[in-house]
Amino acid sequence: MSDSSDKPERSLVQRLFAHSGALAGCVLLALVLLPALAAPLLPLADPALTDPAQRMLPPFSRGLWSSHLANHPLGTDHLGRDLLSRLVWGAGSSIAVGALATLLAALVGSVIGIAAGWSGRLGDALLMRGIDVLMAFPYLLLALAIVAALGPGLTNAMIAIALANLPFFARAVRGAVLDIRHQDYIAAARLAGHRGPRIVLGEVLPNLAPTVLVLMTTTLGWMVLETAGLSFLGLGAQPPQADLGSMLGEGREFLTTYPLQAVLPGLLILILVIGINLLGDALRDLLDPRMIGLEPSSRAMRMTSTEPHRQQENATPRADADERSALLSVRGLAVKVPSMANISSDPADAVHGLDFDIAPGERVGLVGESGSGKTLTALALLRLLPPPAQLRGSIRFDGTELLSLGNSALRSLRGRRIAYVPQEPLTALDPLFRVGRQLDETLQAHTEASARDRNAGIDALIAKVGLRRVPGLRGRLPHELSGGQRQRVAIAMALAHGPDLLIADEATTALDVTVQQEIIDLLLSVCIQDARTLLFVSHDLALVARLCQRVLVMYAGRLVEDAPIDRLLAAPAHPYTAALLACSPELGRPNKPLAAIPGQAPMPGQAGRGCPFAPRCPRAQAACDHAEPVLAALDQAHRVRCLFPLGARL
Amino acid sequence: MTGYIARRLLLLVPVLFGVTLVVFGVMSLVPGDPALAILGPYATPERLADLRLALGLDRPWPARYLLWLGNLAHGDLGRSVSLEQPVLDAVLGRLGPTLLLAGSALLLGTLLGLAAGLLAALRHNRITDRLVTLAVLIGISLPSFWLGLLLILLFAVWLGWLPASGMSRVWLAGTSLADLLRHLLLPTLSLALVAAGVIGRIARAAAIDVLAADPIRLCRARGIAEPRILLVHGLKAVLARTMPVIGLQAGFLIGGAVYIETIFQWPGLGRMLVDAIAARDLLLVQGGVLLLATAYVLVNLAADLLQHGLDRRTRAA
Repeated sequence: MSDSSDKPERSLVQRLFAHSGALAGCVLLALVLLPALAAPLLPLADPALTDPAQRMLPPFSRGLWSSHLANHPLGTDHLGRDLLSRLVWGAGSSIAVGALATLLAALVGSVIGIAAGWSGRLGDALLMRGIDVLMAFPYLLLALAIVAALGPGLTNAMIAIALANLPFFARAVRGAVLDIRHQDYIAAARLAGHRGPRIVLGEVLPNLAPTVLVLMTTTLGWMVLETAGLSFLGLGAQPPQADLGSMLGEGREFLTTYPLQAVLPGLLILILVIGINLLGDALRDLLDPRMIGLEPSSRAMRMTSTEPHRQQENATPRADADERSALLSVRGLAVKVPSMANISSDPADAVHGLDFDIAPGERVGLVGESGSGKTLTALALLRLLPPPAQLRGSIRFDGTELLSLGNSALRSLRGRRIAYVPQEPLTALDPLFRVGRQLDETLQAHTEASARDRNAGIDALIAKVGLRRVPGLRGRLPHELSGGQRQRVAIAMALAHGPDLLIADEATTALDVTVQQEIIDLLLSVCIQDARTLLFVSHDLALVARLCQRVLVMYAGRLVEDAPIDRLLAAPAHPYTAALLACSPELGRPNKPLAAIPGQAPMPGQAGRGCPFAPRCPRAQAACDHAEPVLAALDQAHRVRCLFPLGARL
Repeated sequence: MTGYIARRLLLLVPVLFGVTLVVFGVMSLVPGDPALAILGPYATPERLADLRLALGLDRPWPARYLLWLGNLAHGDLGRSVSLEQPVLDAVLGRLGPTLLLAGSALLLGTLLGLAAGLLAALRHNRITDRLVTLAVLIGISLPSFWLGLLLILLFAVWLGWLPASGMSRVWLAGTSLADLLRHLLLPTLSLALVAAGVIGRIARAAAIDVLAADPIRLCRARGIAEPRILLVHGLKAVLARTMPVIGLQAGFLIGGAVYIETIFQWPGLGRMLVDAIAARDLLLVQGGVLLLATAYVLVNLAADLLQHGLDRRTRAA
């Protein structure tokens, strides 16, 4: 095994040794492989030497009558042969046959795969249909049929197992070849005048190596198992030849009187195959780019959300005054999310000390670029972020602290008093359940209503979101609806229990412009009719302007401005808000050219000491780099986090 | 739905056609004179000549294949030399016990695998997840024939709770259901644990994906009770993703049944195949392989249809 992992660059070997699974695999494999390789050098008894006088001796027994006083550390088998010696030699031939079968399958399978991938459509279709037919056979059955035709024997068993595994290689290699064919460097090689065979040898083969190598290690385990199985059935190794499978088969005859002879070879096969599989998994983790990052380390995942505590650092007088009358009151909310890419380092806050209140019946927009933390904030309010995310601060909803709320109390709030409209209903509605069923279950979640009442409830909801005229709506699956219809269904779900607070997370982003307007109108009407409170998360200031009375602007996880919509549009105080306005074709000054904000927002943890917008800010001064400004009240209704706000006398 | 079924059934035709071609082709790998290989060294020259004519050995292989296919269409798979009865009768008589064994193992393996996968995903990266991952690793690395022997040793030899053989008698005599289940338990367990390993591994990966995806989040946002989220929404999505692997697993179980039937003296097709190979009864091998391969193709069809039933977005390839 160490041979195959030596081929790629050194770093792979080093990474393999850092991988705990790979290390365990190597140890298990070495346990079986090293003695088997060293068998001729070890002071072992002759594995084929029979001695009927010493049959089935228990472990650690010495030869009784034999003159050479042979040691039998593991005892002897039914013919008086030394069990340890037979195990060591048998393991050797099992590994050898499995490895040869793997090599054969890889070789022939790759040739077929390359031929299919490189030839035209007809050749590809013919070869792959043939492979499909081979795959239509139960795995072992094809091998059995081949052994039946060729006759029993270890070589024939190896050929049979290799043939049965060939389709896996042919398929994977063909896929990889098709991928590679469409890469730029192949086109470059063609342009340089190289011919097909030369391209295959020079460019394609080296790029196939990882695919084939991973498949070899993942199939080697099966092949060892199946060759042992054929030998177990008496179709593989024939006496006096022996591998672990045939030893197990022989031992089976004496299972009741002398179990050791069957138990030990099987145990050895198990250890061997576990070792191979561990190593194969590790190699796949390291070589298959699709697998990277899918198995985050345990360290980061074990973190749970911490106890809420109030963080007052940024609280302003205005916020405290409103706290009692507010429906939602957020203080010092911070969200920490360990990123997959950088899991080992201490995660930085993606949302920093948010403070804001929302009054009953108010419609508030939460605006920012992607990555500003607005969606994280929306999900944090419902505590919908998965466990590795940590929340600090305080979220009070109608006097109840949400961050310390138990699971069942939280569940009874969600959907009933606080409802959520998702970003992309195509993925958020369960694709496997019909619309009617999902609406019904939403109603069932918080009421004991009878099926008849729920039925009427669903009708009312469908009418409310303007879907009454869609024929057979309830029987449809989400993918059978248009984007706008799906969003209306999601809004109907959110309205099911007449919630006090509606949180809409980029609810119009996935829709085209005319449908966007319709959804905005719908949200506006359901909020105004029932005096519902709305938090509307969006990157589009123009939509927010149509829907909301007040706007919260976020930048780099911080609240940078909080103002009534008219004030914000007419006289933004934060340079970032002003820049956002200038970027909006609907809201920007018609005579000025559209602006783009130069530079990029900092990633969590990358912002310096000063104002995170300073590097991109046209008004930045030396003071901006030294300390981060606080969210300060300009007047009763307007707060801004800037040392030099627009419109202020400097 | 009907369109999907029709397309899927249409795809069945070339596959089954290919299966007959492969079965026929494999048997032509037999070195030397097929008639001699089938009848054995003690056959009379007259019988050999008759069989050569019947197999069409004097004609080119496409003609031979068509002849064989024509006989197959009439249910004529030839005569078994070792059992001295028509191959079709022999294999059909052995199909029931094999389907019972493989079917119950598939059921048990699926239940265990799904439960383990969901549990591990729920406790992702905690100790339960580690234990399930370890159990799954052992499951996929376990030689089922060895596991069968260990179970016999423990439950039949040492504890004496369950029988290690005797299904032939039970199957023919049709004794009580309880007796049947007693005989079924150990063989099923030997086969199912390996299948549970493979299914558990896929189910765990699928469940980790599914539980982190938007639909589950929206369920939570709607305040739906956690058990319902897991057992209705989570399980259905995991099942839809795992279904192709469950179908494939049927193939491994049909293969694994060969070992388990041999160990437990099970009166099924698998043990018959091993005996037939040892007796060089090639026509019987051919018939058995053909029947099992057809059964496997149909099981995979059922898995595809079930997956489509769970998730209507899937399309026929």
